[in-house]
Amino acid sequence: MPEVSAPEQLPVPQARAGEPAAWDALFRRYQLPLYVYVFELVHNEQTSLDIVQETFVSAVKHIGGLRDNEKFGSWLFGIAHQKVIQLWRKHSGKEILFDEIPESPDEFENSPDDLLIRHEQETEFMNLLNQLPLPQRSVLLLHFVEDFSLEEISRITETQLGTVKSRLHYAKKSLRKLLETKNENAA
Amino acid sequence: MKTPRDTLFARHQNAAPKLDAIRREVLSAEFVREGRRAAVPKFRVADTATLPLLIWRELIFPCRRIWAGLAAIWILIFVVNFSQRDKSEMMASKTPLPSPDMILVFRQQERLLAELTDQKETPIAEPPKRFLPQPRSERRIEILMT
Repeated sequence: MPEVSAPEQLPVPQARAGEPAAWDALFRRYQLPLYVYVFELVHNEQTSLDIVQETFVSAVKHIGGLRDNEKFGSWLFGIAHQKVIQLWRKHSGKEILFDEIPESPDEFENSPDDLLIRHEQETEFMNLLNQLPLPQRSVLLLHFVEDFSLEEISRITETQLGTVKSRLHYAKKSLRKLLETKNENAA
Repeated sequence: MKTPRDTLFARHQNAAPKLDAIRREVLSAEFVREGRRAAVPKFRVADTATLPLLIWRELIFPCRRIWAGLAAIWILIFVVNFSQRDKSEMMASKTPLPSPDMILVFRQQERLLAELTDQKETPIAEPPKRFLPQPRSERRIEILMT
């Protein structure tokens, strides 16, 4: 399993030059994280595989549009995210309700702990993830799967930074609540 | 202690062979196509069989909403135009023809106007000469004679 670290050296310049080996390395690095992200949003294996494939094809075709080589990961996730949204719109014929949560950025300045979930609860949190609405799930997955910063998540999902903060906060709050309810029922 | 990332990745580890296959497929398809593109001249004339498909894919499909909008506008223009034409035809058919008395009055007025303005009657134009095809040599003699 590939390790995610901040100063990760990716062969993006070589990929820009059209080297198949560089593309192979990049796709090898991101194929599973992309698949996990897409699958947890669409819950269909074949659709997820199709979206990953379409994302790879788009990446090869539109690599010229990537401004910063270091942002390759978020750029690739951005492509996949757009494909998920397109699919969602195609099937539901409606816009995703992105503004269902009121924005109150002051709430997130309290303490860093507010944004952290205890390690022992993480596995159970992930099992309850599916009960969250799509926009919240998307933000939480990007945070957990690739450890993207809030700015990067904002770029990937093409939403305001405040909205990302608010979604992440409410997603974690909802998960905590669900977990508490689950524990109470178990007791 | 497992992180959410580990949990998720472990859950989807069985998709790895399929993802490997997809990666290989995309790379071979894209780079074989790239190779072909490099070998073929860029501005190749599309043959008649692929031209409609090419037009559809490159010109119509990417801006299908705009094309649909334009088509709708044209249909609207045709409908409006057609309905207006029907009305004018109906109006014309409904208008009664002038009576012979009215025609007589109009003619008298015309004559009176002509007298007042001192207009002479228009001279009768000479009837055009009939052109008879004849040999070129005879035509030349005719010109010389004149």
